[in-house]
Amino acid sequence: MGKGQPSYTDEEFVAAIRRDDDRALAQLYRLHFPMISHYVLQNSGTDDEAKDVYQEGVMVFYEKVREGSLELNCQIKTYLYAVCRRLWLKRLAEKTRFSGRLDDHEPFLETGAEADLERAEEKERQLGTMAQALDLVGEPCRSLLEGFYLLDKSMQQLTDEFGYTNADNAKNQKYKCLVRLKKLFFNQYQESA
Amino acid sequence: MKTEADYYALFDAYRAGGLADAERTALEHRLAADPALAQRLQEFEELTGTLTAYGRRQALRQRLAAIHSDMVSEQTPRLDLAKVAEQDERGEQFATGQAPRPTLRISRTEQKLRAFWQGHRATMMVAAAVAVLAVFTTLLGLEMYRTSQQTTSSRYGYTMLRREVERIKRDQRSMNRAITQIDAAAPTERVNPGKFSGTGFALTADGYLVTSYHVIQGADSLLIENRARQRFRAEPVFTDIAHDLAILQITDKDFTGFGRLPYAFKRGQSELGEKVYTLGYPREDLVFNDGSLSARSGFEGDTGFYQVSIPVNPGNSGGPLLDDRGNLIGVVSGRQMDVQSAAFATKSSYLMRLVDSLSAAGAGRPYNLPRYNQFGGTTRPQQIRKLQDYVFVVKVYE
Repeated sequence: MGKGQPSYTDEEFVAAIRRDDDRALAQLYRLHFPMISHYVLQNSGTDDEAKDVYQEGVMVFYEKVREGSLELNCQIKTYLYAVCRRLWLKRLAEKTRFSGRLDDHEPFLETGAEADLERAEEKERQLGTMAQALDLVGEPCRSLLEGFYLLDKSMQQLTDEFGYTNADNAKNQKYKCLVRLKKLFFNQYQESA
Repeated sequence: MKTEADYYALFDAYRAGGLADAERTALEHRLAADPALAQRLQEFEELTGTLTAYGRRQALRQRLAAIHSDMVSEQTPRLDLAKVAEQDERGEQFATGQAPRPTLRISRTEQKLRAFWQGHRATMMVAAAVAVLAVFTTLLGLEMYRTSQQTTSSRYGYTMLRREVERIKRDQRSMNRAITQIDAAAPTERVNPGKFSGTGFALTADGYLVTSYHVIQGADSLLIENRARQRFRAEPVFTDIAHDLAILQITDKDFTGFGRLPYAFKRGQSELGEKVYTLGYPREDLVFNDGSLSARSGFEGDTGFYQVSIPVNPGNSGGPLLDDRGNLIGVVSGRQMDVQSAAFATKSSYLMRLVDSLSAAGAGRPYNLPRYNQFGGTTRPQQIRKLQDYVFVVKVYE
């Protein structure tokens, strides 16, 4: 990007992202976005759709790296291309106005990205259910749980914020909320399965 | 009895490692012994795990969104910078030694159009292909329909000249006659003028006639009528579709013969510019027309025909074409609609060739063609007076 940023090799990218290096992630994001954007626009998509698909693809990659379960036997570029291609195919199928071939401009190889994507989809479903359950659990449980688990606030902070007399009260409240959330979550998860 | 929330507190502490050793071993014993409790722990872990994963996912999404908007906003101000640079270009170009950076500027409408094109390219191409196909099928279909509508008598402006008799008018007249005669005895004569009519002329003295093939095309029965309204039944003996010729033979028992034919058939070709004339029955009476031989090939260069500048009409078909000396040089066949007075006549040489091959085959009665021409030195009215007895109406019944 002409800012004198270090350019990483694929191995360095993986290593940096495993360390949760923000700049490496941004660099990676910028590096491959034009390719996916071009691909999606070529195949009857819009800018926004390209962004969504690409972000989802990067998320799959990032989470695999963070879990340490990535077996990269090709370039990152190819991996991302394969994932995004699959994602875009799925989107098009959902839009149902698509029939026919996609026109590929990158070599499309078996990268193992397909299998990764299936696991990612399962996870996606789980997280979607969680989002729904959180919506249903109601206040103040939602804010309390989000504060603790999502925003990484300490129990003391939350006690002050919600006006509990002490941290133990807040904790008890949190556990009660968890029980409610659990019921909602597992019910919905089984329903959607 | 502990509530579920209490268990959760316990699990939480267990996972965080906040339990004393004794408590932990007690819990582990219980977990091993009590599957319900183990199940509960598992659910708790799945729940908290999903929650944290959800949190991380949200955070990552925000980070990516931030990166994306960073990237986008980075690109736009650079365009602005480029603009500024452009403005200061003159002053700074020498100072910095930088070449002016060209920027691609796209208007908002064009951007929208481009996006539309990107999105609907495939659909629009399919639509265009369908439209083109539809247009061509329609055009081709119309053309085919039109050609199929065109009968053989008038393709490409070529009209064959057999006359369609005004049957309705005649029917009307005969009906009137029948009504007036209703009190009298049975009608003496049934009038049936036939469906088509053309002209024919004698080929030999003993009852062979020549006419055009298209006159008798599709005929059930044929009647020959001379100037004196005498009728004979006739049958086609041979037809030559390519040269539009038909040879008929009179089959009536009481037919005695035409008498000696005054004209002879020319075996060679006639010269351009020769004065020619024809007799025919385009209406109820015999009609004379003349002109010149204007070309030695017929419609679309067909060498079996002459082109003659005689105004001919439906009904003239099959009429004889004679030159000044009374030689029969052709048989009138048709005309071209879009050309001024261009009529076509089959060359007599083809007729002769046909007759020769028929006599060689030896089918039917022999053909005794007239050898000599009696017209030598006579004027045209004299020729016609002799000729008119050998020209007939050919009536066709379908």
